[in-house]
Amino acid sequence: EWTAEPVSTGTTIMAVEFEGGVVIGADSRTTTGSYIANRVTDKLTPVHDRIFCCRSGSAADTQAVADAVAYQLAFHSVELEEPPRVRTAARLFQQSCYRYREELSAGIIVAGWDPRRGGQVYVVPMGGLLLRQPFAVGGSGSSYIYGFLDATFQPGMSRSQCQEFVARALALAMVRDGSSGGVIRLAAITEEGVERTVLAGSDLP
Amino acid sequence: MEAGAAPPPFWAGGPAPGQTYIPRAWGQSDIPRGTGIGSAALPAGRTLSPMVTGTSVLGLKFSGGVMLAADTVGSYGSLARFRGISRLLKVNDSTVLGASGDLADFQHLRQLLEQMVIDEELLGDGHSYSPRALHSWLTRVLYNRRSKINPLWNTVLIAGVYGGESFLGYVDMLGVAYEAPSLATGFGAYLAQPLLRAALERDQLPSREEARELLERCLRVLYYRDARSFNRYEVAVVTEKGVELEGPLTLEANWDIAHLV
Repeated sequence: EWTAEPVSTGTTIMAVEFEGGVVIGADSRTTTGSYIANRVTDKLTPVHDRIFCCRSGSAADTQAVADAVAYQLAFHSVELEEPPRVRTAARLFQQSCYRYREELSAGIIVAGWDPRRGGQVYVVPMGGLLLRQPFAVGGSGSSYIYGFLDATFQPGMSRSQCQEFVARALALAMVRDGSSGGVIRLAAITEEGVERTVLAGSDLP
Repeated sequence: MEAGAAPPPFWAGGPAPGQTYIPRAWGQSDIPRGTGIGSAALPAGRTLSPMVTGTSVLGLKFSGGVMLAADTVGSYGSLARFRGISRLLKVNDSTVLGASGDLADFQHLRQLLEQMVIDEELLGDGHSYSPRALHSWLTRVLYNRRSKINPLWNTVLIAGVYGGESFLGYVDMLGVAYEAPSLATGFGAYLAQPLLRAALERDQLPSREEARELLERCLRVLYYRDARSFNRYEVAVVTEKGVELEGPLTLEANWDIAHLV
């Protein structure tokens, strides 16, 4: 019965690096069992001005960890007197996800821009491993698009190519995965700032 | 390693010295619980099930040193999710370590080892950890973690050359440890070990080239028969001169027999 099911962001999330920043994207469906609790969820959560995380797994777990990391980063950034590194944010996520690995159900992608290393994408899958990748996908919907990604990804894509790549991949996953759907939320994070877009209905590739 | 603050978990919930003992209700705990099945009454951080895993690691002594080989994939169940992970770690100039099993635990182990090596360099006494010492340390760490029912879910091979002697040792998540001239973890223990041992049956150890070829052949057999393997791999060779890490290289597979069927 759906009231007994945990609220999960059964999901498709994705992030790609490009020269000068990152493009991140997610679907917008939150499910309790097979009931769609929220069809317009925002799974792209800022943890700092230029650092976002894409959340998959348990909605509660990921929100809790993201809140904690956002707090730690804000504190750290004040002490540092400069924007925090994306790697630091990813490491903070990893520390919580590894320590509480048996309690948590959280697959997180951390992506952003910092002045030292530019655009970076880090993945913290369940279990608490930390890995940097040129692009990363996660969530239940990701299984359906590994083939598409392997065939289509090219290193060195431009920002708009990355946005198109992410949008197409997410659209494909959302069609096939019952736990993913709704609208595609995209965000491009660069030195200039964060530009968010929503692709809905007929805008979907 | 965790600082020894709280008492081991199975004594938690007992009487504080001098206080009245008020037993806690069964299953209750002050640590926030998640949805993990069977994780009630267990403190945080236990690896009860490996998540992203690495498959076999192979080790072989040759005349002049030791070498380790492992593929570069991290599997998420049956999915070959991360295809560029290095499972071989250079600890210092005389030792390498190869890990299979849970890769998040391997990363944790890597952090511990890296810190240990840094601390030792800071001592500046000219000594560095020998492969045998590292093997012994790792055995103690893994055995103690298993004794607290909180294992580091890894099987590790340690290879090195120290004081002119080569060393190849094995430790697993239970703290089982031994040395041998050839070793393999995971599937490798069944498929590769017989091949490695056959090469060692002669009087002398194989030459470096022979050993390198043999390891590649074993990795190919594993690629044919282990469903969680991958055809990209790395090799680490340790000699008196130091550690050389080769890779990532790609295995060529022979599918000729397909035409015979």
